[in-house]
Amino acid sequence: MNAPTGAEPSPDTLAALFEILKSFNKTGAELAPGTRFSEDLNFDSLVVMEFIAVVEDAFDISVPLNILPDVATIRDLAVAVEKIVAEDKL
Amino acid sequence: MAALLDRFAPIMSQRDALFGDEGVNPFQVKMDQVLSQTEAMIGGRRTILVGTNNYLGLTFAPEALKAAHEALEACGTGTTGSRVANGTYYGHKELEDTLREFFGKEHAMVFSTGFLANLGILSTLMGPEDYILMDADCHASIYDGVRGSTAQIIRFRHNDAADLDKRLARLADKPGNKLIVIEGIYSMLGDKAPLADIVAVKKKYENVYLLSDEAHSLGVLGKYGRGLPEEVGCEDDVDFIVGTFSKSVGTVGGFCVSNHPQFDILRLMTRAYVFTASLPPSVVASATVNLGLVKNGGALRKRLMRNAQKLHAGLTAIGLKIASENSPVVAVVAPDPMVAVAFWRGLIEAGVYVNLALPPATPYGYSLLRASLCAAHTEEQLDEVIAIFAQVAAKVGLASSPEKQVAERKRIAVG
Repeated sequence: MNAPTGAEPSPDTLAALFEILKSFNKTGAELAPGTRFSEDLNFDSLVVMEFIAVVEDAFDISVPLNILPDVATIRDLAVAVEKIVAEDKL
Repeated sequence: MAALLDRFAPIMSQRDALFGDEGVNPFQVKMDQVLSQTEAMIGGRRTILVGTNNYLGLTFAPEALKAAHEALEACGTGTTGSRVANGTYYGHKELEDTLREFFGKEHAMVFSTGFLANLGILSTLMGPEDYILMDADCHASIYDGVRGSTAQIIRFRHNDAADLDKRLARLADKPGNKLIVIEGIYSMLGDKAPLADIVAVKKKYENVYLLSDEAHSLGVLGKYGRGLPEEVGCEDDVDFIVGTFSKSVGTVGGFCVSNHPQFDILRLMTRAYVFTASLPPSVVASATVNLGLVKNGGALRKRLMRNAQKLHAGLTAIGLKIASENSPVVAVVAPDPMVAVAFWRGLIEAGVYVNLALPPATPYGYSLLRASLCAAHTEEQLDEVIAIFAQVAAKVGLASSPEKQVAERKRIAVG
C-alpha cells in the first residue's frame, strides 16, 4: 500500500537519511527504501519527534507534522524531503 | 475481519501485564467520600491526596460555595445551550469581564473546559498560509487543536529557544503568520518555559504571535497569580493566553484572553465554542469568585511553594530520583513501568494518592509518580506522605540506605 508515488528519490537523499537513522535504529532492522518507521524500526511518537528534528537540521528545512500520516517508509520520507527542498528553492 | 478495536491490541496487552491482576487499577481510582481539598476515602481508607492539581485548595472556598448555591437556585442546574444560542447568562458575561480585568486584556472568551479552549483556539486561529511552531512537550489538547488547523505544524525541541529561533529563521521568507505555542508550566515535570528567551526570539521576526497555555501556572506564578508572563514581566508580549479553571481556580472551564482587535470573530468561528453547551451557572459563579481569591492569594502561593519545597526535600532525602525542581509538581522517576505501578499501589494501599504517568504520555520516556501540592496541605500531612513514600520506596527497592538518607538530610539542611 506504500508503493512509491511518482519519481524515486535520489540515492543521495536516501543515503543521508540512512546515515541519520543509524543512531535511531534500535531494532537493528535493515535500512532500505521500503523500511517502515513504525513496524520495522518500532518508532514511537517521541522518537519520531527527535528524528524529524535531526532531519530538519540536516537538510535545513521545515518538515510539518501535517505530512507525517503519509510517511510510512524511508522512501516516503525521502520523497517528502526532496519536495520540501525543491519548494524552498522557488 | 479484525475486531473493531484490534489496533489497540498492543496497548491492551501492556495494560493487562501492568495492572490486569487483582490490585488496584491506577486509572480507575474511585473516591467514595471527599473529606476535604486534601483528603478522601478511597477503598475504605482515609487517603491524603497529593495529585489533584488543586494548587490553591479553592475547591471548598466558602465564598465560592455560596455563590454557586445562589446561582444554582436562581438559574437552575444547566443552560442546555451553546454560548451563541441560549447558553449565555449574565454570569458568563460577568466571568468574562472578571477575566478581562484579572489579566488586563481587552477580550476574554470562556469555554466549557480547558481542553476545549485549546482545541477551539488552536484549530481556528491560523489559516492555510500560516505556521504553528509548538513546543514538543505540549499537552494533548494542544496537539489535538493544531491537528484541526489548516496551518503547517512545526515542532521545536522542548524549552529550547535556540531551536525555535532556527526553525523561525527557516520560515522567515515565507509569507503567512506564525504562532509560537508554549505552556507556562509543563504538567508532567512542572518545568517552566524560558519565556524571556522565547519572547526575544519572537521579536527578531515579523508577523510572529505567541500563545501560552497557563493551565498549571495560573494562580501559582506571579504576585497576582497571572502566571509565567506576570512573573517574567512580559505580559504584553504574549498575544494569547489560554487557561483552565480546573486547577488553581478549583472548578471547571477554560478561557482565552487577548488584546487582538479582531478577537471577537472567534466567537462565531470556533467550533468548540459554538457547538457545545455552555458551563452551568453554578460553575460560572464559583469560577468568578475564585478568580478574586486567586488574585489576592499571595499567602496561598507562599504556602504552596513552602509545601512543594518540603515534599521535594523529603523525597530527595529518601534517595528518590526527582525530575522536577522548585515547582508545585514533584515528579518521582521510577526505573520502569512495572516498578512505577508497584510503587503507586504501595502508596495507595498506605493512604497516599499521587498520579501515575507512563510513557508515551511522559517526556524522556519516564515512568513517573507525579505529586502535585496544595496550599491546604498541612505539615503533618506532608510528614505522613514522606514517611509512607520512604516505606514504599524501601519495599520496591528504590530507597537508598538509611545512612545515605541521614547524610542527604544533613546535606539539605546545610545547603
